Amino acid sequence: MALFTPSFSCRIPTSTSPQRHRFLLSHRTFAPRATLAVETPSSSTADHGGAPKLLLEVKDLTAIIAESKQPILKGVNLTVHEGEVHAVMGKNGSGKSTFAKVLVGHPDYEITGGSVTYKGQDLLEMEPEERAVAGLFMSFQSPVEIPGVSNIDFLNMAYNAQRRKLGLPELGPIEFYGYVAPKLEIVNMKVDFLNRNVNEGFSGGEKKRNEILQLAVLGAELAILDEIDSGLDVDALRDVAKAVNGLLTPKNSENGRIVKTGDISIAEILEKEGYKAISGI
Amino acid sequence: MVTIHPMSISTLNSYRPKLCTLPRSGNRPPRTTRYKVFAKTPTFAVLSDPHVLRLAETLEDSITSSSSSASPPPPLQKLRDISSQSLLSTPWPTRKDEPFRFTDTSFIKNSDIQPIPPSSTQSVASLSVLADNLFPSLTIVDGYLADSLSQLSELPDGVFVGALSRLSSENIMEKVSKYVSSFQGDLFWSLNGVGAPDVIVVYVPEGCKVESPLHLRFLSLDGSDKDSKTLPISNPRVLVLVEKGGEISIVEEYTDGDGSDRCYWTNSVMEVVIGDGAKVSHSYIQTQSLGAAHVKWTSVRQESTSVYKFAEVSTGGKLSRHNVHVQQVGPDTVTELSTFHLSVGDQLQDLHSKLVFDHPRGFSRQLHKCIVAHSLGQAVFDGNVQVNRDAQQTDAGQLTRSLLLEPRATVNVKPNLQIIADDVKCSHGAAISDLEENQLFYFQARGIDLEVARRALIFSFAAEVIESIPETSVQKKVQSLIKDLLDPALASREEKK
Repeated sequence: MALFTPSFSCRIPTSTSPQRHRFLLSHRTFAPRATLAVETPSSSTADHGGAPKLLLEVKDLTAIIAESKQPILKGVNLTVHEGEVHAVMGKNGSGKSTFAKVLVGHPDYEITGGSVTYKGQDLLEMEPEERAVAGLFMSFQSPVEIPGVSNIDFLNMAYNAQRRKLGLPELGPIEFYGYVAPKLEIVNMKVDFLNRNVNEGFSGGEKKRNEILQLAVLGAELAILDEIDSGLDVDALRDVAKAVNGLLTPKNSENGRIVKTGDISIAEILEKEGYKAISGI
Repeated sequence: MVTIHPMSISTLNSYRPKLCTLPRSGNRPPRTTRYKVFAKTPTFAVLSDPHVLRLAETLEDSITSSSSSASPPPPLQKLRDISSQSLLSTPWPTRKDEPFRFTDTSFIKNSDIQPIPPSSTQSVASLSVLADNLFPSLTIVDGYLADSLSQLSELPDGVFVGALSRLSSENIMEKVSKYVSSFQGDLFWSLNGVGAPDVIVVYVPEGCKVESPLHLRFLSLDGSDKDSKTLPISNPRVLVLVEKGGEISIVEEYTDGDGSDRCYWTNSVMEVVIGDGAKVSHSYIQTQSLGAAHVKWTSVRQESTSVYKFAEVSTGGKLSRHNVHVQQVGPDTVTELSTFHLSVGDQLQDLHSKLVFDHPRGFSRQLHKCIVAHSLGQAVFDGNVQVNRDAQQTDAGQLTRSLLLEPRATVNVKPNLQIIADDVKCSHGAAISDLEENQLFYFQARGIDLEVARRALIFSFAAEVIESIPETSVQKKVQSLIKDLLDPALASREEKK
């Protein structure tokens, strides 16, 4: 079974890019579940007429589970340009999360064929940490608990890794605190959030907020949000959606995103009425 | 209990039949009754171990020659008598004995064990090692109390901290007498009882809350060269007696003077008696030299609604063995044990713990963690929790996690629960692993490279235990100690790659 069934697919013309933001803001229930399922023909780049920059190009990607050798991805194609929002949909177990994890280099999966180009580079040749500092960010569906490492230390390490890459001086704990504290407002969390151990004993909502906090601190050119809405109550969903939109708008508004969910209802609406039906126009 | 007469090993030795030199293994009980090793055998002479008797005699001689003419206080005499008596029937443990199955003590046995005389410790006054000392503190050098390095002015009235031989209060003496050696340990326990020059007594009267933590610092200054066969032994012994409603926090620290790898043997015992509703918080830091043998007993007696919180960090010693025995003597007790062992060299870190519940509604949480970062390093954990018939509604949890960072690094863990009561909540878990893949990936996915991630995770491994030490200054000290030990160990690992 291929990951992306053609019946779910549609394509966003570049001109929908402003609508996307409106959609994210206006549709609370579906807020972070923006648009599109994929089966992008590799020729799709032609549609964009070269205007927005090509960010990610996945061609005929096949992957298996490293341990059991079970095939999961069987020829996935996806093209993301700057400023686009994509939604990947499919049944449970169809490989959405696998696709996300393969893109960030999770060791559980082995690539058996196809190619992935990110900003003109061969993504599959890069180590996971190189992909991250190159601006590829994945929020985990189930964020990992790391007892004994405080949230602020973790963020500081990650932030400094990025600064090293950019040739900038690293920030000490005090300077970094000054940088990170205002970001807490984005996810509506208190300062003690920073002193707790990474995700340890966090509620489902707190874990997701923490992912967004990391995104806010580290920034990203391509953010893959794997079920960022699952396990959230209405308020948390609002906070997270707001945070994601906030991160979209200011300086990174040209970012492409793959926003994923397994929700069938949104797929049905999409299938019947197309993207505009849920985009609130 | 065998009736005790004031009698020394040498006297008893003369009664010893020649037969006793038979190979001991011939008399070994079968495996199934392994705990019987501790039991007293009436025909003790048959089980006598000539090596043990010789050692006991040496210790006894050193005590009589070093102490002044005045006879020891009665509790100390009693301790010596009980200990001598039990040594007669205690052979040197071998790996055929269950409690020493994974712990090879032949290194100690094959050395020429020499008791450290008190005279050699007079030069310590010049030591400036106590500069960082903030607490009321007591310094014990090679098993002898060093007054010049002790500072006890801040203690509340009624609290006694000092040597038993200088205890003047009849009242306290009587209580000490009741509890000194109220428990029977193994060979090393008894050797300490024979060889201890004095007993350090920490007495907290009823309802008294000692606010600042008491620092017991044990320095090992006398040591032999690595190649020499001599092993200087010291036998410090402490009795902590906290009366009803009292509270005290104790930091017990063992260290060598200068960080060399000299050889010596510290054979230490601490007995803790916690009265009704009393609270004792006990931190134990062991950073002996990497050539040392360190054998330690901690025996705790908890009366009803008492609280005992224990945090240990052990990184030193070529052979380090800690026996913790917690005995519940009343209902509603709370016991928390957190321990961290680190082997960065060719060394063995061993924890044998035993928690015995005999009364209802006891609560215990035990966490043991160890890292072995050397291919010849070894760690041993035997964690026994015994919930007896009357200990209904006991809530006992135990978890051990071990991290092996080198090929051939060894850990032997044996968590074991013995539950007789039928209405209890008990859990235990054991995990032995390299670092968690998914945690490493989480770091990588945020741009942190693998080596930095590994380090962060290795340091964080101990954090849970270190955080349970109540004194922040001790926490900080231990953190930097572990960092200093792990950094070179991890660096050499990277070079190899």
